[in-house]
Amino acid sequence: MESASTAAASAVARPAVPGLAATTAILAAAGVALLAGLLVGFWIAPTDASTLGFSQKIFYFHAPIAETALLAYGVAFVAALLYLRRGAARYDRLGVAAVRLGLLFSLLVMVTGVIWGRAAWGVWWAWEPRLTTFLIACLLYSAYFVLRGAVEDESRRATYAALFAVVAFVDVPITFFATRFLPAGLHPVVLGPSGSGMDYRDLIAFLISMAGMTLLFVGLLRLELGIEALREELREIKYRLGR
Amino acid sequence: MGLRQYRAMVRKDIVRELRTRETVVAMLLFVVLAMVVFHYAFTVPGGGDLSLLTGGMLWVVFVFGALLGLNRTFAHEKDEGCFDGLLLCPVDRVTIFLAKMTANLVFLGLIQVIAVPLFALFFATGRMATHLPAFLALVVLADLGIAALGTLLATIAMHTRARELLLPIVFLPLVIPLLIAAASGTSAVLSGTAGSGSVLGRLAFLLVYDGVFLVLAYGTYDVAIGE
Repeated sequence: MESASTAAASAVARPAVPGLAATTAILAAAGVALLAGLLVGFWIAPTDASTLGFSQKIFYFHAPIAETALLAYGVAFVAALLYLRRGAARYDRLGVAAVRLGLLFSLLVMVTGVIWGRAAWGVWWAWEPRLTTFLIACLLYSAYFVLRGAVEDESRRATYAALFAVVAFVDVPITFFATRFLPAGLHPVVLGPSGSGMDYRDLIAFLISMAGMTLLFVGLLRLELGIEALREELREIKYRLGR
Repeated sequence: MGLRQYRAMVRKDIVRELRTRETVVAMLLFVVLAMVVFHYAFTVPGGGDLSLLTGGMLWVVFVFGALLGLNRTFAHEKDEGCFDGLLLCPVDRVTIFLAKMTANLVFLGLIQVIAVPLFALFFATGRMATHLPAFLALVVLADLGIAALGTLLATIAMHTRARELLLPIVFLPLVIPLLIAAASGTSAVLSGTAGSGSVLGRLAFLLVYDGVFLVLAYGTYDVAIGE
């Protein structure tokens, strides 16, 4: 009897994040895929024959992160459109979680980009179209959180955040095109119109890493949403307790 | 969209500005001050040629100057409590957007009519006169983009805490593509390569940029203005 009440008490004291088991499985799969991608990239894929040499290996990290960041912004864009159309709070929560992760991945793009830039071009920073676009995206989506912080009313905050997410997502490709007006062009074009130009082993390593990074994003997104649901529940309980 | 209401609203903003003269005078003073600051900030020992920087300087000055005016877009309505009156008018929300955008465009254009000749005088860019059509086209298209995007964001910022702080943070990253195209286009005009494909490419880009943000503002203004 006593043990049952202790179990009940611990269940109350430690509420579980909804869908935690599935999220953990996804994150574990992401870890395995990322590790496998690195193993294939480092041991099986040949070292780049061009001037990039060994430094090209960071590509298995850098490019999947960049594409995942864009995916996150895409998710935020769709969530924003859905919020503007239907007005359900869950789309707002999805949007915030996606932008937060997009920002995190964008910062990682910049960090890995800076490291690669130093190794490949000999400079820490180059005002180069893609890197610059990610810098501007970072600034843009940071502004998203400044905007959220400046609006008190909850539904209005969600509406403006959704509006801004739509405008920002449209602006990112425009920025990319605009940076082409500036003289620069250091970035290697890996997946161009003339095929990938990669060894098939490179491609396998890249695709495995890409899958891993996408799974990582999905897992983190689920975790964020689960935590947010818990917070919501906590707010509800506090409200009911009259605090 | 009601043309009569549109004209009445634009007229109201311009008459109000003619009476108070606060926004345009402040913008103009800011723009001239910024030119002076730039001159001293960028002069290198030995008197290097500043003309290479003029395209960029000109548009930095205009974008920041425009921010001052954009911040005031709804200031009077908010301060005097007649914003609700504006919303209660039997007027399409898009008409309010177009009227406010036009007023912002007029104020920015007014500043430029004075500032551009001054700029040519200060930074000795006599070439501006020889390629006037290309330069004017750049100015018109860039101004339209600044006014469209700026009016939409100013409307959102109006309902927030510390709106004067928020507007630059949300406006500047979004306006960077426009700034790149306008500044590099102006530099191409001033360096005498106007007429070549480079300026045309930038004009086409600005046209697309304007179109995208006008459509976005048109589609979302109902939500942006609230209530």
